[in-house]
Amino acid sequence: MPANTTSPSYFDNFQLNLCAINGLNLRFRFKAANLIIFCLAFWSTSYSQQNKKIELQFNPTFKRQSLALDSIYYHLNQTDSVQFTVLKFYISNISLFADSQLVFREENSFHLIDASLKGSLMLPLSVPQSAFFNTIKFNLGIDSTTNVSGALENDLDPTKGMYWTWQSGYINFKLEGNSNQCKTRKNEFKFHLGGYLAPFEALRKITLPVQHNDSISIDFPLDLFLSKLDLSVENEVMIPGYKAMLIATKAAAEFKSDTP
Amino acid sequence: MKKKTSIIAFILLVITFGFRVNHTPEFPTPKGWPLPQYDFRKNPLDSKKIELGRMLFYDPILSRDSSISCTSCHSQYSAFTHVDHALSHGIDGKIGTRNSPALMNLAWGKSFMWDGAINHLDMQALAPISNTLEMDDNIKNVVFKLQRSAIYSTLFYTAFGVKKIQGAHVLKSLSQFMLTLVSSNSKYDKMKQGAIKFTEAEHRGYLLFQNHCSSCHKEPLFSNYQFENNGLHLDDSLLDIGRMRVTQHAVDSLKFKVPTLRNIEFTSPYMHDGRFQTLNQVLNHYIKGIMPSSTLSGILKNGINLSPNEKADVVAFLLTLSDKEFVFNPQFSYPKSSFQKNLKQAD
Repeated sequence: MPANTTSPSYFDNFQLNLCAINGLNLRFRFKAANLIIFCLAFWSTSYSQQNKKIELQFNPTFKRQSLALDSIYYHLNQTDSVQFTVLKFYISNISLFADSQLVFREENSFHLIDASLKGSLMLPLSVPQSAFFNTIKFNLGIDSTTNVSGALENDLDPTKGMYWTWQSGYINFKLEGNSNQCKTRKNEFKFHLGGYLAPFEALRKITLPVQHNDSISIDFPLDLFLSKLDLSVENEVMIPGYKAMLIATKAAAEFKSDTP
Repeated sequence: MKKKTSIIAFILLVITFGFRVNHTPEFPTPKGWPLPQYDFRKNPLDSKKIELGRMLFYDPILSRDSSISCTSCHSQYSAFTHVDHALSHGIDGKIGTRNSPALMNLAWGKSFMWDGAINHLDMQALAPISNTLEMDDNIKNVVFKLQRSAIYSTLFYTAFGVKKIQGAHVLKSLSQFMLTLVSSNSKYDKMKQGAIKFTEAEHRGYLLFQNHCSSCHKEPLFSNYQFENNGLHLDDSLLDIGRMRVTQHAVDSLKFKVPTLRNIEFTSPYMHDGRFQTLNQVLNHYIKGIMPSSTLSGILKNGINLSPNEKADVVAFLLTLSDKEFVFNPQFSYPKSSFQKNLKQAD
């Protein structure tokens, strides 16, 4: 197509062709833009047809019961009890594998799981229709690149209360509550686990087997997690460091899938 | 073949013009300066966002009781620091623990704060907003207050196209304004461009500076953005270990970020705790006040040897780093007309 001074520029044609897509103006000549747009449209419809929705459900529990925040006191043993006020953590970089073969990787995969918001516990994944998988991998926390990428929105927005203000970095995992085991002010315990700078990286990679290919259910039993801690001495970790790393490892180890 | 070329040309045209949204002011990288650190692709400059950031910078709405704004500790006439205050003052008359840094040329910053605790300009404002000695609020509540304000909710809608303000929008617009605070029109810059000549004293001072100071205060930004221990004795009322607080590593004990020397005439007092009032005191420290320690900057092991005349020359040179156009630039000042215009529209 030679340059033509009387016809509109390519840029103008692009806008006119957008009108054509809307059914407003069909008179205009078939141009490269149409081809590109049709290809894109075809590609996107065929793409969505090949996908199915599966539910990835996170279940924070205490002694096999769904976790209830605030009002409920749970028995730790004969004499001690515990109450939880906050449980929030980031799940990122979700991928599904058939043995060692990658079959699905979620784009822009950052999710804030908040025990106080039921909706946040279920993550819908759009995976290929034919995909068979037996393993799920994800991160507990936020990777170092994202940690140095400036202000980010939605689940990564700093209004979510999962970003440190006195020193840059995401809080990967936050658990707060109180227990008579803690000889602290108001018997409180606070675990704000994070840190992306070497040698204090607190991100943990989790790999779990999965049984069903239409839904995935992952438990986080807080009773088992607390059984690995001594609340009388470990009750406040709010900065990156070895303590945070150690507790992050313990937390990551308690994520359990529905497969025995 | 021709068709192919025209298709490619078309795609290029669409890329260059098709996705351009309203006015994108070019970021002015002064001639001979390194490329900025800030990734403008993630937050492209936009005049509406800059002006919104400027309003936020000057608005005490960012503090718990609407008493403190950014400019409380970063006023333009002192090159955006707190003149005469060794330690920054915050909410309820509380006093902070460090000297507020002068704000300029932030696009080239690799980290922020005296200890580099903040890794990105976008995230910097979270610290003063949340610090109980400074603004004592939190970003969630700030967003709530801005959303409730008819003026700000409209401004965020026009700037970002969002009805629901997020923390990231607040931080990005503050970044946009702060990024525009470029100081590059000092006598030093004009000398470098060949427009004017230094006096003899300034020239001698410049040579001494290059000899003794420029490895840390690297031209043209007058900082190497590294952390150094410059031999200050530890103030036992503050016990500030500097960079070590961030890295938890003993090799970083008593190290602080090398500050820029641009506009140093306006930014007294000096050092992370504002312990020196005058440039003369600063130079005396380097000449005879260095406290030896294991983390002391290598080139300061023997101090800096300057005669009284040489000292005067160095000061003469340092004064060439003053940029009056910067401290009086009306684009950086209190956005009176924006506040008035928007108030009128809200009535």
